[in-house]
Amino acid sequence: MSLHELIVTPFSYGFMQRGLLSAVLLSLSGGLLGCILVLRRLALMGDALSHSLLPGIGLAWLLFGPSTTALFLGALIAGLLTALGSALLSRLTRVKEDSAFGSLFILFFAAGVALISKLPTQLSLTHFLFGNILGVGPADLQLAAAISGLTVAVFAVFYRSILLETFDPVFFRATGGHGGLVHAGFLALTVLNLVAALQTMGVVLALGLFLLPAVSAYLWCDHFARMLLLSVILAVAGSLAGILLSYHAGLSSGAAIVLCLGVVFLGSALLSPRYGLAGRLFASVPDRRSETPKAE
Amino acid sequence: MSVTPVPTATHNILRFRDVSVHYGRQPALEHLTLDIPCGSSTAIVGPNGAGKSTLLRAILGWLPLASGDIRLGDAHPQHLLPRLAYLSQRQAVDWDFPITVRGVVEQGRYPSLRLFRRISEADHRQVDRALAELGLTEFADRQIRQLSGGQQQRVFLARALAQGADIFLLDEPFAGLDLFATEELTHILRAWEAQGRTVLAAVHDLELARRGFTLGVLLDTTLVAAGPVDAVLSAKNIDRAFRHGRCVHGRDTPLPHTTDFPP
Repeated sequence: MSLHELIVTPFSYGFMQRGLLSAVLLSLSGGLLGCILVLRRLALMGDALSHSLLPGIGLAWLLFGPSTTALFLGALIAGLLTALGSALLSRLTRVKEDSAFGSLFILFFAAGVALISKLPTQLSLTHFLFGNILGVGPADLQLAAAISGLTVAVFAVFYRSILLETFDPVFFRATGGHGGLVHAGFLALTVLNLVAALQTMGVVLALGLFLLPAVSAYLWCDHFARMLLLSVILAVAGSLAGILLSYHAGLSSGAAIVLCLGVVFLGSALLSPRYGLAGRLFASVPDRRSETPKAE
Repeated sequence: MSVTPVPTATHNILRFRDVSVHYGRQPALEHLTLDIPCGSSTAIVGPNGAGKSTLLRAILGWLPLASGDIRLGDAHPQHLLPRLAYLSQRQAVDWDFPITVRGVVEQGRYPSLRLFRRISEADHRQVDRALAELGLTEFADRQIRQLSGGQQQRVFLARALAQGADIFLLDEPFAGLDLFATEELTHILRAWEAQGRTVLAAVHDLELARRGFTLGVLLDTTLVAAGPVDAVLSAKNIDRAFRHGRCVHGRDTPLPHTTDFPP
């Protein structure tokens, strides 16, 4: 197989072009959001949130058919209900936040699985769970472009506020920042991007596109801005490689992208000279990360 | 050192008038009337739950006042936030965050930057000055984990300087510091006082309060005493604030039942 056949030929198909473009657009925003998820330790919450979108999608499909707008709104409402419901449960009952979120998302997910198995359509459950690149229509592409553009613009304009709220919410608040607003905006953007990633990645795998490049970049960078940049670059590269892999090997696109990004992550965890396994094993200087720092 | 001292006027920079704060129905501060002179260093002392942190957070406007009024100069402090620097307890920071010492200190400039404005040459100079004043210039490009406890504390003091603050609210700044770092911080706070900056710190350790500060405020939800720190921390006042005038070994607090230790 020539290089041309390997890389160029696949994208002579319209659906492959749309799939690639959609994945690259979402990599831009997903790479950025993922960094915040990693640094604020919200990775598992993001995972729960993505699962909980399913009943919204199922219900929207049942009521309005496969309209992008309806699916999108359905997922958005389901995501917000989970976030709001778990916040209320943890405040008003004895249940703690993590259990409340965990219980609600699994309940929502089960409801989604039940709903979708009853859908009057040819599409199978796996389409929603793991993504199908053939499903990316022009409307989905427009949605991905809009959401990705919005996310990148928000990060560009509010970069400093986002950094302060992520690193030191107390300082942000003490200097007149609106931490709650930044946090709510961040959650809203996360849900929006998860929904937009639905067609290519599926609800279960969408978070991989956000999380894996970010946590890989985290292993290499000592600057916030560089981590954001590296995360985006890795996400785009992983999407490209993943889509080619899915074409040539006949895999689902979501799984292929996550596998490619997973290789990058495991490689980083092993090889990063300062924060990886290699750095720890072959450190010539005593490791200062594992002990409490002493005065000079 | 390129810091211009603020003229040490003897007026009161922070004034509390009949301030009460409640958490739900639990009073945290009751009818506090207090003046903090400009260019002084004050230790806020008291038992756990006496309202030390509450006092600092009330100044920032984070807690609704059940009664009374807090003034910074002639204004409410919420309108003069850049003048106030608040340092929470050290443990709250994620030391693995991908950020360097310079990156943290630079954050001090962010609140006064408008949206769409890039950080300017003047901002960078202010960051450099803050780093130099706290002896952090040579560590500027280090990730914050690779510092000692005392250096880490100084990074956040430098950020407060870069912010352009002249009133420093410190919540337990000595917590977790070793002997050397404690002495160093005491020295820095003394120097700040001499430069006309106002320092207000919640302090746990009575000995540190005596050594490191000029004025003292003794709280036990109500004000027990305020004034020169040695007078405030008299045996009688401490007894009133910490033991409510009771002896720990008195009849109303029975000793826990203990078994005999084998010889």
